[in-house]
Amino acid sequence: MKLRLQITKESGIRFISHLEYLKTLEKAIRRARIPVAYSQGFNPHMKFSLASALSVGVTSRCEFLEIYLREKRPLAGLVEDLRHNLPMGIHIIRADLADDKAPKLMAAAAGASYHVIIPCGADPASAIAAYEAAESAPYTKHHGKAKGKEKNKVIDAKAYIPAVSYTWNGETLELDFDIRITPTGSMKASEFLELLSGSFGLPLALTRADIARTDLYGEDANGHKRPLISEEEAIKD
Amino acid sequence: MHKDLPIDILSAVEKPARYTGMEFGSIVKPEEETDVSFCLAFPDTYEIGMSYLGFKILYAALNGVRGVQAERVFAPWVDMESQMRERGIPLSSLETSRVLGDFDLIGFTLLYEMSYSNILNMLDMGKVPLWARDRQIDDAFVCAGGPCVFNSEPLADFLDFCMLGDGEHIILEVTEAYRAWKKEGKPGGREEFLHRIARIQGVYVPSFYMVRYHENGTVAEVRPRYEEVPPVVYKRVEKDINDLDYPTHPIVPYGDTVHDRIMLELFRGCSRGCRFCNAGMIYRPVRERRPEVAMQLARELVPATGYNEISMFSLSTADYSCLEPLVRDLLQEFREDKVSVSLPSLRIDSFSVKLAQEVQAVRKSGLTFAPEAGSQRMRDVINKGVTEQNLLDAVSAAFESGWSQVKLYFMIGLPTETDEDVLAIAHLAQAVQWQYKKITGHYGARVTVSVSNFVPKPYTPFQWVGQNTKEEFDRKHMLLKNAFASMKNIHFQYHDSRTSLMEGVLARGDRRLSKAIYRAWEKGARFDGWTEYFSFDTWKEAIQEAGLTMDFYNSRARDENERFPWEHTSCGVSRAFLYREYEKAREAILTHDCRRSTCTGCGVCQKLGVRIIDWKGKEK
Repeated sequence: MKLRLQITKESGIRFISHLEYLKTLEKAIRRARIPVAYSQGFNPHMKFSLASALSVGVTSRCEFLEIYLREKRPLAGLVEDLRHNLPMGIHIIRADLADDKAPKLMAAAAGASYHVIIPCGADPASAIAAYEAAESAPYTKHHGKAKGKEKNKVIDAKAYIPAVSYTWNGETLELDFDIRITPTGSMKASEFLELLSGSFGLPLALTRADIARTDLYGEDANGHKRPLISEEEAIKD
Repeated sequence: MHKDLPIDILSAVEKPARYTGMEFGSIVKPEEETDVSFCLAFPDTYEIGMSYLGFKILYAALNGVRGVQAERVFAPWVDMESQMRERGIPLSSLETSRVLGDFDLIGFTLLYEMSYSNILNMLDMGKVPLWARDRQIDDAFVCAGGPCVFNSEPLADFLDFCMLGDGEHIILEVTEAYRAWKKEGKPGGREEFLHRIARIQGVYVPSFYMVRYHENGTVAEVRPRYEEVPPVVYKRVEKDINDLDYPTHPIVPYGDTVHDRIMLELFRGCSRGCRFCNAGMIYRPVRERRPEVAMQLARELVPATGYNEISMFSLSTADYSCLEPLVRDLLQEFREDKVSVSLPSLRIDSFSVKLAQEVQAVRKSGLTFAPEAGSQRMRDVINKGVTEQNLLDAVSAAFESGWSQVKLYFMIGLPTETDEDVLAIAHLAQAVQWQYKKITGHYGARVTVSVSNFVPKPYTPFQWVGQNTKEEFDRKHMLLKNAFASMKNIHFQYHDSRTSLMEGVLARGDRRLSKAIYRAWEKGARFDGWTEYFSFDTWKEAIQEAGLTMDFYNSRARDENERFPWEHTSCGVSRAFLYREYEKAREAILTHDCRRSTCTGCGVCQKLGVRIIDWKGKEK
C-alpha cells in the first residue's frame, strides 16, 4: 500500500531547501508513527518520495508525497496522525491509498501551474503578446561549470510554456501559466521570468518575485489535465 | 515567522531558513496572555545555537510557565546584517518578530569569549542601549548565563545581571520576580528589581560591585556597594538532575544544525581534573541521571522529535556508570524504529572503541581521540591520566575493528612545555601510524593531528600562568610543520595563534575591557570566532585605545597572591585547591578522580551542600 498526499509548502517556510523539506517530512512520518516501509540492506532508509522538486523560495499547495507502507491501515487514521505531526507551514490538502504497483506520481506529473506576483514598471501587454506570438523563445539554462568549461544548455521556452495570462494594475503584474514537465526536462518559473525580462524587455523586479506553484497535474489520453490524486476516493481537507 | 523580511532579502542571503522560524515544536503564545516576554539570545549562528542543550532546557522551562513567553534570536550572519542595516530592519525574534528592545528580559548565552562582539552587535541591531547604565525603566533587562559567566567581568558594563550555574530554577525565580515587579508598576526603578533578584542565589549584578585597582593594574579590591549584597556570589547547583524537567519536546529545526539529533544528557560535571579544563571545574560535582530516567526520556524524545539518532551527551560520556547496559537497552528498545545511538566523544581506551563499534552500524568517517599532549611528562602536568600505551591500545582496537582513520587532538603552549614536549606530538602520531602497520600489515592509516593553542582559563589550576606569546606559538607551529613535512599520510592542522591570544585576553579579563570590546565592535568586530571575520589588528587597536595592553591579560604570569577579577563570582572550587593543583602540575604529579574514590578537596560539595551522584554498582 502507498499513502499518497497532496501537501503544502507555505509562505513562512518557502526558504527551506528541497532536502530540508524532505528531512522534515521524514521526521514527521516518524513522529506520526506511520507504518512506513524501509529499504533492505545495511543502511535501511525510509521509502517515501516527492513527485517534483520545488525551487527554494517558491510556495506550493501541490506537493505530492508518496509513502510506502509496510502494513495496511485505514486512510483516515493515517491522515489524522500525520496532520498532528506536521510543522507550521505544511498542511494536508488531499490524500488517498493506492496499490504499491500504481505508477509513481513522479512519473505521472505532466505539468505544473504557477501564479506569480511581481512588481513591473511598464505595461506588459506588448511583451507578453510578443512572447505568445514568437515561433520559439530560446533560453540558456546555466548548469554551472564542468571541467573548467561553462556547461550551458539552450532550451525553447515555448515548448514548455505555450501561453501566459496576466493582469497588471500599473505597478504589480500577476501572471498565470502552466509549465510542461517532460521526460527530458522542464523549466523553472524563475527562469521564465528571467526570459521575459531579458529577451522580451519586460521591466520585472526579479528579486521580488512571489512565485506560487498552484497545481501539479497528470494528463489523460486526450492531453487533458487530470488530478494526480483523484477526488473520488480521497480524503479532503 | 519574520514578518519584516521580504523575499528579495531572504533570497539574497546564505541559508535563509535561519531567519524564518516556524519549526516543529516552536512555541507562540497569544500576546494578551503574556505577562513576561523573555528573549533567549544566542550570540552566534542559528545552527550552533540550536545545537546547544542549555538553550533547549531554558526554552522549555520558561515556556512551561503560564504567562511567560520565551522566544529565540540568533546573530544574523554578516550578509543578513548588511541587508537589515541598509533597510533599517531591527533584529527581532523568530517566534513573533518582536524587536529585541521590546522584550522584558534578554538572556545571552556566554558559550565562548570570541562571541562577545556579537552580543553588542545584536543589542545594537535590536534597539537596546548597549551600556547598562543608559537603559531606562522600560528598556529590556540584559542578562547572561552559560560557562563564560564565571568571568563575565569584560562584559560587566553591558549586562544588568548574570545567572551562575544550573539554569533550570534560577531563571524561573528571576522571571517570577520580574512579573511581580512589573505588576506592581515597576516601583523603585530598575535598581529596585536588581536589588530584589540579587537575593536569589546565583544572581550577580555587576553594577552592585565596585572594583579598585593597584597601580600596576591588578585588582586591589572588589567590594559590594550595598550591605545586603553578598561579597561572593556562588553558583546555583541542582542537587539531583533526576528531579529536573528535561526538554522532551524540543524544537526540531528544518535545516541541518551542528547536532541535528536527540541530545540525551547523561550527567553534569566531570571530576577527572584535567588542569587546563574550565568545564571540569565549573560544573562540579558529577551528578548522573539514573539509567531508567535516561531510558524514559528517550522513550519520550523519539516519538516527540522524529529523530532517528540519539546522542549520549555529557562532558565525558564514556565515564557514565551504566553506559554499556544503557546503550544496549536503547538499541534494543528502538530496533524497530531504526534509531541509532551515538557517542560524541571517546575516552582513550579499548572499552570506548568497542562500544563505538557496537553502536555504529555503518562506518563513519573515523575515530577521534584527545591525548591533549605529546609527551608523558606533559600529560602528567595537565593531569590527563592517559599513557601512550592507553592510546596505542585504543587505536589498536579501532584498527582491528576496521577503522583506518584517526584524528588526534593536542594542545601546545601548556605550562612548563619544552620543544621536546612539542615534538613528542609528532612522535606519538607516528607511533599511531606504525600501530596500523603492525595490526593490518599495510601502511596507509590516515592520521589527522589537530593542534590548538592553550588558553589559560579562570577557575582552573592554570589561572596563574602566562599564555605563550605569538612568537612562541608560531615557532612551535613551525617546529611541528617541519616535523610532519617528512611524514606521509599524517595531516597536520593547527589553529591561528592570534584568535587564541585574543581569547586569552577576554578569558581572564577585567571590567576595564568593556571599553575595548565596545571600541572593537565600533570598528567592525563580529563573528570573531570565525577566522574569516576575525581581525587581530582591530582588537589590538581597541585595547590600546582603552588604555590597556594585551600582555597584561594573556602572557603575564600571575603571583600566587594576586587577586583575580572574577573571584566574587564563584563556582565553589576553592582557590587553595586550584593552587595546590598548580603546584602539583609543576612537579608532574597526578591527582585522582574523586568520582569513585576519595575526596580530593576541591571544596564544591562542602561549600554548596551537594554531593556526587553516581550509579556505579547500584544498577538495578
